[in-house]
Amino acid sequence: MTTNPTPNPQHGHHQPRIAIARNAPEVYKAMVALDAAAKKGLDPALVHLVKIRASQVNHCAFCLDMHIKEARKEGETEERVYLLNAWEEAGAHYSAKEQAALALTEAVTVLTDGFVPDAVYERAAAHFDEPELAQLIALITTINAWNRFGVTTRMTPGQA
Amino acid sequence: MMTTTTGSARLDFYKRAPGIYQPLLNAHIAAKKGLGDDVLAELVLIRASQINHCAFCLDMHVKDAQKAGISEERIHLLNAWEEATGHYSAKEQAALALTEAVTVLTDGFVPDAVYERAAAHFDERELAHLISLITTINMWNRINVAVRQPIGGGA
Repeated sequence: MTTNPTPNPQHGHHQPRIAIARNAPEVYKAMVALDAAAKKGLDPALVHLVKIRASQVNHCAFCLDMHIKEARKEGETEERVYLLNAWEEAGAHYSAKEQAALALTEAVTVLTDGFVPDAVYERAAAHFDEPELAQLIALITTINAWNRFGVTTRMTPGQA
Repeated sequence: MMTTTTGSARLDFYKRAPGIYQPLLNAHIAAKKGLGDDVLAELVLIRASQINHCAFCLDMHVKDAQKAGISEERIHLLNAWEEATGHYSAKEQAALALTEAVTVLTDGFVPDAVYERAAAHFDERELAHLISLITTINMWNRINVAVRQPIGGGA
């Protein structure tokens, strides 16, 4: 007996609506350069957590699939991945620095509810020096951009 | 007499993360150029900045929109464009609807109806650049809100 249903070709393997890389190649090239620049100087484990959390908040299936697989491949635990959606209730699983970064990730991702509160910013600033904090903001911003491309073009999980 | 506080940013972002500005600007310029409609671009840039509450970006793009010849009325009504459809073309309305859907992902997805409405007015290349422009202004919005960039203070 299997617990994993066969993917429904009508739903699970839809085609993307449009290919950004093909139709806007200069934009795509700049985005790849931006992505490489954004993660510089940051702990790779933290980078994965931030990318996964932003992708959860923005509901990007393609991005979740990609970044969870990357995180797992680089040794992240299954537990820390699946608790990420409720990290504030699972504080023991994340360092104070990671929690500060996750709070900032949520604030910068959900601008529609209003601003990035001083408390959230200061909490991050207490754990990250200025260059690191700037990189962290750049990282959060860049994954938000990939989330927008992924969701808008309806990219299929697992089919990069 | 009123005193205005100019304030300073929380962080000198572009100096502290020196590798970010150029690729971000490149993506933005390529997106705007590929869209090929500066008036539409400014409407999109203002609407996204309204939704994301980016004061610095609003100030910059409202001024750019005025320079591009967009009427004060069309700028002011943008916040309620769906109630002021007489002021925007069908193509502009389709782009604004897409701007809102792509900007507010947290409420869930980009509906087929919104996507198809845009696809009916823009060819694939234009649409890819429109999506790109919505995405790049969302990036500027995030950076400038996060670092609390003072209005008129330059990027």
